[in-house]
Amino acid sequence: MAEQMKTAAIWLLLWLQSTAGVLGERTREKMYEPILGASCFRRLNGTHQTGCSSTFSGSVGVLHLINTDADLEFLLNSPPSPPYAPLIPPHLFTRTNLLRLKNAGPKTISVVLLINRSKRMTQFSHELNCPNQYSGLKLSNSTATVTCDASNVANTWNRWGTGLLHEDFPFPIYYIADPEEIDKLEECFNKFNNFDYESHSLRSLCAVEIKSFMSAAVNSEVCMRRTNFINNLGGSKYCDPLEGRNVYATLYPRTPTESFDVDATEKFIVVSCRLDTTSMFDGLGLGAMDSLQSLAILTQVAHMLHKLLPSANSQPNPKRNVLFLAFNGESYDYIGSQRLVYDMENLAFPSRSTRTTPISFENIEFMLDIGTLDDIGNIKLHTLTSTPPAQQLLQRLNQYAKSSRYGFNVNIESNVGYNIPPTSAQSFLRRDQKFPALILNAAPNNRYYHSIYDDIDNVDYVYANTSQDYTKLADVNDAKNISWSSLQMKVRNVSSIVAMALYETLTGKQYQGNQVANPLLADEFFYCFLMSSDCPLFKASSYPNSPAGVPLPPMRYISVLGGSQESSGWTYRLFGYLLSHQEPSVPKENCTQLPLFYFAGLNGTGECRRTTQNYTHALSPAFLIEDYDWRSGQYSTWTESTWSQFSARIFLRPSHVHEVTILSIGIVVFIISFCLIYIISSRWEVLFEDLPASNAALFN
Amino acid sequence: MTLPEFFGCTLIAFGTPFALFVLTIANDSMRIIMLIAAAFFWLLSLLLSSMLWFAIVPLRDVLAFGVVFSVLFQECFRYIIYRILRSTEQALHAVAEDTRITENKHILAYVSGLGFGIISGLFALVNVLADMTGPGTMGLKGGSEIFFVTSAVQVLSIVLLHTFWSVIFFNAFDTNNYLHIFYVVGSHLFVSLLTLLNADGLYWASLVPNYVVTILTGVLAFKVAGGTSNSFKRFLMCR
Repeated sequence: MAEQMKTAAIWLLLWLQSTAGVLGERTREKMYEPILGASCFRRLNGTHQTGCSSTFSGSVGVLHLINTDADLEFLLNSPPSPPYAPLIPPHLFTRTNLLRLKNAGPKTISVVLLINRSKRMTQFSHELNCPNQYSGLKLSNSTATVTCDASNVANTWNRWGTGLLHEDFPFPIYYIADPEEIDKLEECFNKFNNFDYESHSLRSLCAVEIKSFMSAAVNSEVCMRRTNFINNLGGSKYCDPLEGRNVYATLYPRTPTESFDVDATEKFIVVSCRLDTTSMFDGLGLGAMDSLQSLAILTQVAHMLHKLLPSANSQPNPKRNVLFLAFNGESYDYIGSQRLVYDMENLAFPSRSTRTTPISFENIEFMLDIGTLDDIGNIKLHTLTSTPPAQQLLQRLNQYAKSSRYGFNVNIESNVGYNIPPTSAQSFLRRDQKFPALILNAAPNNRYYHSIYDDIDNVDYVYANTSQDYTKLADVNDAKNISWSSLQMKVRNVSSIVAMALYETLTGKQYQGNQVANPLLADEFFYCFLMSSDCPLFKASSYPNSPAGVPLPPMRYISVLGGSQESSGWTYRLFGYLLSHQEPSVPKENCTQLPLFYFAGLNGTGECRRTTQNYTHALSPAFLIEDYDWRSGQYSTWTESTWSQFSARIFLRPSHVHEVTILSIGIVVFIISFCLIYIISSRWEVLFEDLPASNAALFN
Repeated sequence: MTLPEFFGCTLIAFGTPFALFVLTIANDSMRIIMLIAAAFFWLLSLLLSSMLWFAIVPLRDVLAFGVVFSVLFQECFRYIIYRILRSTEQALHAVAEDTRITENKHILAYVSGLGFGIISGLFALVNVLADMTGPGTMGLKGGSEIFFVTSAVQVLSIVLLHTFWSVIFFNAFDTNNYLHIFYVVGSHLFVSLLTLLNADGLYWASLVPNYVVTILTGVLAFKVAGGTSNSFKRFLMCR
């Protein structure tokens, strides 16, 4: 009964609240207009804080649209009514300009708004010239990596990089993508601010307020100490380590065992790439060229090898296997690969719950790392030293790449020495420079590396949407109605070359078939990862009739514990679906425990498959080792600050003159009334001389 | 950001009532109790008017309807206070330290009127004041920059009016002066309905008549309370 009363009371309250919400019109709603956008936030490493934060109560600045450099000069040299909030288009969002805004101080510039008017933009990358400059392969006497020389910008791996991602800004930066929101801002600027600049200080101006206060500060060491339970009685968190999941799968299922000793006879060829990307703004950044291409190639290679070599017995040494690895958090000092190396050193990969023997470095025959392939026609195979297996693979790759039979027309050159790209293999080479790592990487040509503009347009992707079967291999001359110069075909070519070379390595025989990777698989893959998670490929690789994904591409930033983890989840299912064998004899009811998994399949009818994929934890070992020296530079120390909200709104900021006038009127009224009333009350007998007429009636 | 605006408007609206409270009410505990009691009765009238507004769904958007009934409820409760005060007067006389409160019964009227005024002013302005503490001011989506000052000035007049009305009203019932009763209810209705013009931004059209009524009512209250032009002259000459 009491329970019922309670629910009734709650319903009544809710109902009252909802009616009040509908009818209530606060003055506030006439004063403020919310603006939708994405905010830059703060990340910390062992020594620094990077990114941006607003003040605790929100940063306020007067809107000023920047069209030319002269507008910026005006704001910096003679701001009539600071602080200002410049609206900057991408082509003026340069390192020089941003640092000038930063140096002007929060008294002059309190907010920076980046507006999505990219017409005149030719480059936009906020990563360093040398991505992961302070991790990776190092010589013993230096803190920076030996694989990239930051002083020689033209030869770096990201020569368009501004490094703004690694700067600390005293103001919030907000990115506004929606043209309608930009119009709102511009309209407000034109209506209230964009005339008679001299009188800015005398009138109300259109201003913006950004709330994006970051609770962490200084560096990861300080903020992890503050977050530490023992020191922190309040229980609030200030920052979280960047944390996610690596995804791996093997070509053939491994035999379950109870033994936890390394089986030295088992040999692996590792094919790897990275899973994540990053950008300056929360929730944005597809990383189409900087990392999604390599993931697409890895997936295609895995799928093609799986189709060509369905069983381990089809090759001379059945103990040979291929391990496909997709590392998470590689944008932040190789979190995923560093952790995997750490786990392999401790014989903790794969985890014991998988009931398989651990894999150690001696099991690895060689590692083929797929880096960034900006220019797919012109690829280099990087190795630290020239070794016979590397040369052999290069020769095999080139044999298929240049073969007139397939007509791929790709040229793969060898590059030996320290000049290796910033990819996961560096974590392995750093442990042991003799580690047989081979890296496929094209000459850096991505002007939008790690930015919000590394999107569909950057890779020229057009969805073919053929609705044909993408799970079978295609004939080399069958383009499936996709243009020969498209992204899908380029990915098909590279993955076919790699898969054929690995086929030859595994079987010892030349590949003679006409079957190559299916361009439709690349087509579907890119559609899912660049346009919408509600897509045929993701549907096929989930449980039948599971709820459709959101019609947005999955987030590919590593994020923190409890973050979205969408991309690792989808990659996991994708590897499961594409690298598994159907088990027609197992009914749906029994198909519940890994490695058995029930997929919707191509037609959505449902099929039971024996899978090989799994996750490993991608959390930097720095957060596992007790008393880790945060400044040692050994492991990634990136953390992300917590925040309570991101919001932006525009309104009219009253001028100081207006404020001071009202305040002085108030004070004058107050003082006058005090004096007047004092005089009246002290002499009231004089004022009200007559005895009140009704007084006589009082005591009757 | 606009804390100056907030404090400015607060002082404009509540500076005078605060001075009145400090200098004429605060030194007598009985007057404080009366003030609070009157405020409580005004709240009851607000409760009734809001219930009526809530109950009659089709007329929720018609502000004028709510305003008229709210005014009537307020006047009813003013009458209720009047009855209660008059019936408890002798008891008051027995317990009051300062017997002026019962000797000059205009004081009771004035105290309860001020209580009415302060609470109604608070309710009228608190929401606006709360919105004023943000970084912005009026004007982005229509509305005028002087909205806040206008509201504050309006509230000041309402507080003063309530005080004057109570003095006139109590005296009118004592002396059966129906004309005065009618004047109080009528001017209350007039002033309240005038504020509806603010929705269209016609601030001057509502403020100027409002203050004319305030001054007229003030003069009437002054006369009712025993003031004459002679006494006023003597007061000015400091005799």
